[in-house]
Amino acid sequence: MTEVFETINWALVAPLLVIQLILQVVALIDWFRIEHTNGPKIMWLFIILLLNMIGPILYFVIGRRQD
Amino acid sequence: MMQFMTVFKREMLEAGRNFKWIWVPLVFILLGITDPISTYYMPQIIESVGGLPEGATFEIPTPPPHDVLMMSLAQYSQLGVLVVALMSMGLISGERKSGVAELVLVKPVKYSTYVTAKWGAVNVLVLVSFFAGMLASWYYVNLLFGDVSFIHLLWTWFFYGLWLLFVISISVFMNTLFKVPGLVGFLTILFVIITSIITNIFSHVLDWSPAKLSGYIRTMLSEGSIPADLWGTALVTIGISTALLIAAIYTFRTKEMA
Repeated sequence: MTEVFETINWALVAPLLVIQLILQVVALIDWFRIEHTNGPKIMWLFIILLLNMIGPILYFVIGRRQD
Repeated sequence: MMQFMTVFKREMLEAGRNFKWIWVPLVFILLGITDPISTYYMPQIIESVGGLPEGATFEIPTPPPHDVLMMSLAQYSQLGVLVVALMSMGLISGERKSGVAELVLVKPVKYSTYVTAKWGAVNVLVLVSFFAGMLASWYYVNLLFGDVSFIHLLWTWFFYGLWLLFVISISVFMNTLFKVPGLVGFLTILFVIITSIITNIFSHVLDWSPAKLSGYIRTMLSEGSIPADLWGTALVTIGISTALLIAAIYTFRTKEMA
């Protein structure tokens, strides 16, 4: 497994991680500011924090109230 | 025109406040760069996942650069369309449900202005995001696989952008028909799926169906010149989108906010 980590050029993969981080942070900021979400608010905190990549996207697409 | 700009600016402002201007471009960039990177590292991924018998080797041919660009495009045609449909499902229906639409329309704002301005605002957001995503994908393809000319990238963006424009037009039309955002999103996706199914079944007749855009783009990328069918398809796509938009204005007017 360590060999695999060494062969990966991190400069290539870094943007993915950065984008993922920005999405997560923005989702969290929005989660703090918003009053109500679709479904229990605390549930969305876990979704944002625990599901990589998809969590914040799911939150923005479904979690925020549409009205 | 003044009115249009006012409603348009309001939409832009709202998209900014909803963080749409941050997350939609980021999601599109993410969709664009995942495939070039994962294709590039496929041998390592297979190796580390394991499960191969001892000594088994097989060569994975490196795909030509334009094929990798097409993989990114395939991402947009699935997840990208899904994001567009879900993002725009509350565009008008949500405002009608919450009563904001009435607040806007008691002022002397024309129905047509309201609908087209909203349609335009979503288009700008999605097409800019799509461009950012394609640019990122193109950068990685050039870095990891080989050259794809920038002109081809621009054409790919233009022609595939028409498909996204088509999806947005469907969504706006559904928005004026129904008041429940979830239903609007569902019907939009259903409409897109039915379009592809019909195109597949009557493939020999429907040469210029919007669902064939990506196929012709593939031909364009591999042959290096724009096939005549692509122009025809582009025209048909623009035509259907315009018709949907006009139908949307019409239903919105006759529905009287019911």
